[in-house]
Amino acid sequence: MQSDASTTPKPAAASHAPGPRVEIPLSSPVPGAAAGTAASAEIAIKVRGFSSWYGQFQALKSIDLDIPARHVTAFIGPSGCGKSTFLRWINRMNDTIPGARAEGTLELHGDSLLGKAVDVVELRRHVGMVFQKPNPFPKSIYDNVAFGPRLHKTYTRAELDELVEHSLRQASIWSEVKDRLHASALGLSGGQQQRLCIARAIAVGPEVLLMDEPCSALDPKSTLAIEELIETLADRYTIVIVTHNMQQAARVSDRTSFFFEGRLVESDATENMFTKPRNKQTEDYVTGRFG
Amino acid sequence: MPVNLQSRVIDLRRNLLALGALVEQRVGSVIEVIRDGDVDLARKVRAGDAEIDQMQLELEGECMRLLALGSPVASDLRLILTAMRVSNELERIADMCKGISKRVIRLVESGSYRYPPALVQMAEAALTMLRDVLVAFSNEDIKLCLEVRRADNYVDGLNREVVAWAREWIERDVEKSGAAIELLAVSQRVERLADIVTAIAEDTVFLVEGRLVRHGAE
Repeated sequence: MQSDASTTPKPAAASHAPGPRVEIPLSSPVPGAAAGTAASAEIAIKVRGFSSWYGQFQALKSIDLDIPARHVTAFIGPSGCGKSTFLRWINRMNDTIPGARAEGTLELHGDSLLGKAVDVVELRRHVGMVFQKPNPFPKSIYDNVAFGPRLHKTYTRAELDELVEHSLRQASIWSEVKDRLHASALGLSGGQQQRLCIARAIAVGPEVLLMDEPCSALDPKSTLAIEELIETLADRYTIVIVTHNMQQAARVSDRTSFFFEGRLVESDATENMFTKPRNKQTEDYVTGRFG
Repeated sequence: MPVNLQSRVIDLRRNLLALGALVEQRVGSVIEVIRDGDVDLARKVRAGDAEIDQMQLELEGECMRLLALGSPVASDLRLILTAMRVSNELERIADMCKGISKRVIRLVESGSYRYPPALVQMAEAALTMLRDVLVAFSNEDIKLCLEVRRADNYVDGLNREVVAWAREWIERDVEKSGAAIELLAVSQRVERLADIVTAIAEDTVFLVEGRLVRHGAE
């Protein structure tokens, strides 16, 4: 199939309420399987023969990948390898880029994420995004979290209060902000702002959380707080994180996918990727010999 | 000091092989000690142990520094973990050489030093295993590692011959039972030395393939 960047809001991706995390074998792909396909797992995002272009430039080349549900998958690779481009296709962030187009299969629980028929606003309720730099709205802490839910549904004050508290608790920031919910979010520290952005993403009840270098602008203590949060959230959400920090990928993810020059070189259990990668390019990259 | 992991991993490998070469030399000397009852050489082997201890400590310290400061992964991580184990194993082989030398000195000085041919054959086989395993480590040769592991069975068989020989000696001359027991202690150390070489072969499989093959695993 083929998709171009212009979209018309239509049916939404199906709803998949977060369920409990189950231990699934994530070790090695079955022999002969494609580079990124897991042997057995509940697959949230299925990618087959996925390629994308910015105008004439091909940014992604025939990606095959299974992203397991309620686990953390890290994308690693040198700058320009396509990992962020791929992340942005998962919630159609590339739609706004002129000339961006994609072809192949990209599905969330069997529903295609490509094509004009997808309601992108509804899709982003299911697939939340956390960016490199914390980007709270210039509003109160409360209104930042309530912003998304209010777009999608009418809540009573009590319901909204409960939702805001629940989201802030899940993002491990409730105890720090509960006494100043109506203060400006811009007064929070960088680490707190990032956790607020995670709370904001969680508030609309997504199934998938995409994180594009979420700790690169944070100090070590805030980074630790976010990493601990990611571990907690993995019980309920499918998390895909792009990171340049190899140790972070090793610490937080269950599976790691290595991209190079638009191709998915290797995808495997994180433990294997950082102890005995099968591919020489992966080996050279994770050991710092190139990139 | 900034950690240049890649160059320091290369140095680590080189230093580990240098320790291996030194230990190989010691095992070679121990064969002469056993075969000739050479007390002077035995004393040199005993005295040289401190040098090996020091090298092992330096290697282990470097491994810890690289783990703490270099954030190694993949082949670098495997090499450092393997170097920690192998340096310790080489040091234990040197300890075995020291123990063997100490006992041969006692036996020679008491005038009761006798041994069966199987004891020298054992020591020679153990030395061959050690040489092979160092080559296997250097060349990352899994096939050779597995051959070393198999060779351990040959050494075990020779050890049984030495035990049978010592038993016969005791039965023939009960007054020599003390010397026979001392000789068995020598034989046991040679056999243990070969076991440690086998462990190095297994560590080398981990270095190359990331597979743990200790405790009889294939």
